[in-house]
Amino acid sequence: MRHEIVGTAAAAVRLALALALTSALPVAHADAPCEKSQIRLVNSMREIAQPYHVNLNKGGRMFARWAGLEDQYVLQLNQGDSDKQVALMRSILATNAKCTIFNVEPNADVVMKPMVDTAKATGAWIVTHWVYNRGLHPFDGYDRWIAHVAVNSQDVGVAVSDRLVAAMDGKGGIVVLHGRLDTDPAQKRFAGLKAVLAKHSGVTLLAQQPANWDRTAAFPIMQAWLAKYGDRIRGVWAANDDMALGALEALRAAGLAGRVPVVGVDGIPEAIAAVARGEMTATVSSDAFYQGSIGLAMGVCVLTGQAPAPQTWSKQRREFFLRVVVITKDNAAQYAKEPEADAYAPEWRCDNLWSRATGPAF
Amino acid sequence: MESRHRPGILSVAPTAVRGALRASGPLLALLALTIGFALADSDFATIANLRVILDSAAVPLVLAVGMTFVIRQGSIDLSVEGMMAACSLLFACVVANDRMQVNLGWFGLPAAAALGGVFGLANGLVVTRLRVPSFMATLGMGAIALGAAMLMSGDQPPLIQDPVLRQWGLGQTFGLPNLALAAASCLVVGLFVEQYTRLGRYGYVIGGAEGVARASGLDVDFYKVLGFAFAGLLIGLAAAMESARLGLGHVGIGEGKMLGTITAVVIGGTPLSGGSGSVRGSAVGVLTLAVLANGMVFIGATPDLEKAIQGAIVLVAVVVANWHLRDRLRIVK
Repeated sequence: MRHEIVGTAAAAVRLALALALTSALPVAHADAPCEKSQIRLVNSMREIAQPYHVNLNKGGRMFARWAGLEDQYVLQLNQGDSDKQVALMRSILATNAKCTIFNVEPNADVVMKPMVDTAKATGAWIVTHWVYNRGLHPFDGYDRWIAHVAVNSQDVGVAVSDRLVAAMDGKGGIVVLHGRLDTDPAQKRFAGLKAVLAKHSGVTLLAQQPANWDRTAAFPIMQAWLAKYGDRIRGVWAANDDMALGALEALRAAGLAGRVPVVGVDGIPEAIAAVARGEMTATVSSDAFYQGSIGLAMGVCVLTGQAPAPQTWSKQRREFFLRVVVITKDNAAQYAKEPEADAYAPEWRCDNLWSRATGPAF
Repeated sequence: MESRHRPGILSVAPTAVRGALRASGPLLALLALTIGFALADSDFATIANLRVILDSAAVPLVLAVGMTFVIRQGSIDLSVEGMMAACSLLFACVVANDRMQVNLGWFGLPAAAALGGVFGLANGLVVTRLRVPSFMATLGMGAIALGAAMLMSGDQPPLIQDPVLRQWGLGQTFGLPNLALAAASCLVVGLFVEQYTRLGRYGYVIGGAEGVARASGLDVDFYKVLGFAFAGLLIGLAAAMESARLGLGHVGIGEGKMLGTITAVVIGGTPLSGGSGSVRGSAVGVLTLAVLANGMVFIGATPDLEKAIQGAIVLVAVVVANWHLRDRLRIVK
């Protein structure tokens, strides 16, 4: 009995494969556009426990609904497991690969190559985000890797640091909460701060500690700094919002919330709320809604023939840095509420897919 | 069969000197560390910083009191982080918050403790009834609790909006952090349970020689379950304390707490093999780690080296604290 079931399943898989192959046959060219009903949208990301990932998924779904493809939207969560991210991709590509679009938040640097190679081998389409792999570019022989959308972490660091220095009137001591120092964003965001400090001799770096992106770790460190430096601390720089919010609570316990400028990075909703209340000075957002949707928009434009094949695009349209948004008290209200599809629709238009590109990446 | 018992605990101490040394080993390590940091940085030994250290030791102390009972009975509890996550989410969802129309106020604390107690009870039952080794059972339970916490967290973590609870988490009374006072109360309860209840007294016997305990007619399983449940109760309470302080229910609220707690208990003189150790020692262990973490921030060690220095100091502290045990530990695994 058991054998029979396995046999049947194997036969079904063979049949599905055969169908997938033959269905591609009548089409004259492999890159020919797909019927809209065949297009499948996949958002591949870590999890949806953090606000950032929640918004990635919402952005993707928002685009799918806007494009009339909501029933064809698939969410793949790897729970932080790089192997699983690749395996999930391969399993869904067993069928209908050539009309499938992947929008990928790579779990780690190393996961990008197997994923773009899988796309190349199966004929699926892929847009990647964030990570940096030396010597690996969409325009080097990857016709199906539509684009890589990177974030310039050093610019992000410069942007928040400028706001911090301005809020301190260019003088006083600051303390620095690092992310995991073995990661690229942690190092580059700090490099951005150092570049800003080099231009403002009135601001001194009193102390720096890693707090592992974690707000529970940031809290006691900030408390110890307050005991040691007291009112010499005129500003707090955190490599992400979670740590900034932990430091903010330590400031609150000391009656200093809102009186010492705090900056973070990520633009998570709590941080935006703190910015609106005046308890944080600034945060930077790469706009998860945009990142969760732009790759799918690019893919749909290519597959429906509204945009030319990616190999004809210029290099800086296939690998570029994303413009980030600095959120301060002036514009916090605008980002505090969930965006509507209308706000993004102009940027999903097939002739306007690069509206947030700030130039070639790396 | 009696050889694994430490005579000083169940009968009379062998000599006063030896007993004093044993009790003061961890304390000496703590003193040495404190003096070292005070010499390295003149701002370290201030009242303001003492408050900071006590505040940062509060949550770990509550956890370590419970963990002492579990380790002493020869078990281990690796579910700390997951259970804290679940209890934190529950706490944030039942006090005034931005998501649900519930407001239990102070009753949020016993609610979180109760959930922890239930998880602890489940830990104990899986270990004693299903005969799953405690490290496996609690690891699994921790994962289940973490999953439940993720589910409760959903899109956005719930923010705590009860000003009274926030003030409790961040404020001071009589010049001492409220959470440190709460932790001190837990310490007193822990000392009482250890000294004056069967759960406390039998824990030594069960951890020292479970076979003997069974042969003597002790209901070993019952007291083991009780030990896990007591630890769970305190984990729930610790989660609520940390949540009140940070102002939200957070999946990552227990991050790093499990290893920290076990380290504190071991530094405090409770061997992982069980059978001996004290709540008082664990409290000293917690303070040692709190002084260490705080002192590292004070001397401003370069971030890259900090972990390495911290690890080295912990090793030295364990050696110093357990020096008197080195003859007794015939087998070290």
